[in-house]
Amino acid sequence: MAHFTDDEARGVIRDAYAQVRSSNTAVAAAFYGDEELAALPAAAATLALGVGHPVKYAELREGEVVLDLGCGAGIDTLLAAKAVGPTGRAIGLDMTSEMVERARNNAREAGRDNVEILQGLIEEIPLPDASVDVVLSNGVLNLSTRKSRVLAEASRVLRSGGRIVIADLVLEDALPEDVLKSPAALAG
Amino acid sequence: MLLKKFFNVGFEEIRVLDRRAFALADIARYPLFSEEFLRFLAEAIPPARHAELVYSIVVTARKPAAIAP
Repeated sequence: MAHFTDDEARGVIRDAYAQVRSSNTAVAAAFYGDEELAALPAAAATLALGVGHPVKYAELREGEVVLDLGCGAGIDTLLAAKAVGPTGRAIGLDMTSEMVERARNNAREAGRDNVEILQGLIEEIPLPDASVDVVLSNGVLNLSTRKSRVLAEASRVLRSGGRIVIADLVLEDALPEDVLKSPAALAG
Repeated sequence: MLLKKFFNVGFEEIRVLDRRAFALADIARYPLFSEEFLRFLAEAIPPARHAELVYSIVVTARKPAAIAP
């Protein structure tokens, strides 16, 4: 990430996710169960671009308020919405207007009234302090050049005792410099 | 490094609940990457590393009651 400014990195990532198209569930099938996927709008499953299944580990309870950072087309937001039920709320946040539109469409198609999709930056979460019970994120933290800022913001919006569940990519050995300098590598 | 960031922000009960290797073949599933970029990766990264390029982990943590916003 040191090869790009914050704005450059954000621009590359925004463009990549705005333009992404998919008609298969190869990524989703690696992390989610068949029954889970069958119950979701197809467009949520085909544009699942995460690296894990944070909802599975979140131990969500009815009535909780959940925030999904970098929600994309909304697969985790929708799964969280189902888990917290009608008395709870699932909020998806994404910086890409195309993904926000997709997530809103998917929430409508899924019939989820307890979903709200916001457009904004995960480094500047547009929510009040101590307003959510659980923060989730799936393959998004690695896209930020300001990870500590994202975690600080997550902490700010969490209520005392609140939980955070992050699925993300880590390197155990550095990748070659040529790969790190490649704009395409930023999107992953 | 990532876990340290959680700690530095003040989270507690930081745990890694899942860890799995991502191979080059796994990266290829994502529609974000062109065939050209995947070929570039295959050439730029030593073959011995292709089966374990990066790792996905699931981290959970809790905000303590006393932490300041």
